Amino acid sequence: MHYANTYLDKPVVGDLEEAATEGTEKVLHCMLNTGSDIYQGACKKRGSTLKEEYKNASGTCYMDPRDMAALGVKNWDTVLVKTDYGEVVVNAAKSRDAPHKGTVFICKGPWANTVVSHETYCCSDPTYKGVKCTVEKTDRKVLLMADLMRWVYKKYVDETDDDVVENMESLGELPVYKGRKWEDLK
Amino acid sequence: MSYEPPITDYDEIVENCTCAFCGCNCDDLDYLVKDGHVVAVRHACRLGASKIMEDMDQRLIVPMVRGANGELEEVDWDTALDTAAEYIAKSVRPVFYGWSETSTECMKEGIELGEYIGAVLDNQATICHGPSLQAVQNAGYPIQTLGEVKNRADMIVYSGSNAMNSHPRHMGRYSVFPRGYFRQRGRFDRTVVTMDPKFSDTAKMSDKWIGFEQNGDYGFYNAIRAVLKGKKLTQNVVSGIPAEDIYELVEEMKNAEFGVLFFGLGLTHTLSKQRNIDIAIKMVMDLNRFSKWGLTPMRGHFNVNGFNIFMAYETGFAFGVDFSRGYTRYMLGETNTIDLLVRKEPDCFLVIAADPGAHFPNGANQHLADIPVIQIDIHWGPSTELADVVLPGSFIGVECAGTSYRMDGVPIYMKKAIDKPETCRDDEWIVRELKERVMKLREEPNVAPKYVPNPAAE
Ligand code: SF4
Repeated sequence: MHYANTYLDKPVVGDLEEAATEGTEKVLHCMLNTGSDIYQGACKKRGSTLKEEYKNASGTCYMDPRDMAALGVKNWDTVLVKTDYGEVVVNAAKSRDAPHKGTVFICKGPWANTVVSHETYCCSDPTYKGVKCTVEKTDRKVLLMADLMRWVYKKYVDETDDDVVENMESLGELPVYKGRKWEDLK
Repeated sequence: MSYEPPITDYDEIVENCTCAFCGCNCDDLDYLVKDGHVVAVRHACRLGASKIMEDMDQRLIVPMVRGANGELEEVDWDTALDTAAEYIAKSVRPVFYGWSETSTECMKEGIELGEYIGAVLDNQATICHGPSLQAVQNAGYPIQTLGEVKNRADMIVYSGSNAMNSHPRHMGRYSVFPRGYFRQRGRFDRTVVTMDPKFSDTAKMSDKWIGFEQNGDYGFYNAIRAVLKGKKLTQNVVSGIPAEDIYELVEEMKNAEFGVLFFGLGLTHTLSKQRNIDIAIKMVMDLNRFSKWGLTPMRGHFNVNGFNIFMAYETGFAFGVDFSRGYTRYMLGETNTIDLLVRKEPDCFLVIAADPGAHFPNGANQHLADIPVIQIDIHWGPSTELADVVLPGSFIGVECAGTSYRMDGVPIYMKKAIDKPETCRDDEWIVRELKERVMKLREEPNVAPKYVPNPAAE
């Protein structure tokens, strides 16, 4: 059957003007904002959360090109974002809303959740925007959604060591469950 | 992006369907249906179209229960519902969270169950427009419908909202581009201002971009209010905006015939939270001394407003309603999901038509790893990775009819277009079944003990 296509491998981002160099800084101190954008929204609500597409739409840190040059990262390199509340490995990409030097943006999703503040200051709403963070270049891979959930919450693994869970065999891009009926039904 | 040829191979067109994505609730969509599947959608934006033509790989079809080894196993409906009902019946502090992507009819069943068992009922407002609802209680609610905006408004302000990304047809269908009765030339008759620290996609389409500093919203609105009251600004720059620009903006706002402020999560998620909205509402009140102004929160899900209206009508409180004492209670920072989870209070979590796995901060979600989680949803999402019982629901507005409330509080009946997968059930049916099963397991409802004013005297 021919469906109208709403899938997109990766969000569309602009090219960087300068070729990436070594970079001048090891660690950048930035302000972290989270929120939604159209790529994340479309992918999440379609239900494609296990897919590579969601990883790229949601697990991406949008940066000002000057900050990217300072760190020496290109589009779709990986960076490690750390805050007082946790750390996460995400892709780096040039922001469509630049210039905003010193501010980085990660779309809402399991990746952003690990670094935002749960502090509500008695107002019901956690602090999703304006969290201080550091950004550094890394060789670690961005985890797929299922692997990330396993790494962060460890609800159904006995292992407690972060590094071991991070390097476990991937759960992949399709649901993992026991049964057959589902397949027959499709 | 490559060129997509139009879809020509379809059996029928279902007209005037309502989009079940954002608070715009566009009710002019046409679905092209073939073999019981929606193969293309006309009129919807990228968001709406992608949700309606869902990803069948991840569609939840059969109920599942987590087995002893931690793997989800397919079971029949009876087993799944009994397991879930047992978790709920045994719990002391259950939280029923979600409701924003299901019908108001389903909420009705939910509130009965919640009241019977003494649960906390909360929805996504708690993590998005909760501060707006508090501010509305503090300062008032000068709202207008989107139809009025279309026909009358000549000045549109977006503050802390990137409508082009989160409500893509908002500008096109209601606020900026459409021709209205008093705005015959559409876009040319309107001035559009975007206030956002980022030069967002919405800012790129506006006449004016006001890029105040991060967390500078509160100061900025105060400055506008001061100028509106005829005061002189003593600083040259307020929140990163030069004083002259503020004077100019205020003049424009005063001279508008009908202005509307749309505000989004940019205001509610920064440090001053509900105080930002307080001051925005008061600014709108001040503006009404000169001209007609109104405001509308840009609600995210298509029925997030519905839950708030429904709860306020039924219980007197809009969200975070706690039935644990046998009567309704609402206390900010106490009966809201995030606070409850951070304090590790709940011992059972029912999530319906929501995704805490994707949207709650880690610090809150950690507690979900320790307690039973029951999920009612249509897709396998981050929350499924934390769920112990999974109950597949149906898709409101596509596979099942229901009522929802638009961001401006207009109720819209969403019709059914295609049949749901055979083994799925309607959300309303699932919650009703749960309710009946829980009532069997726990015979006594949760009611407040009789009030005795002075026990010693009795
Ligand atoms: S603007 Fe919102 S309601 Fe309208 S089609 Fe897009 S997602 Fe659906």
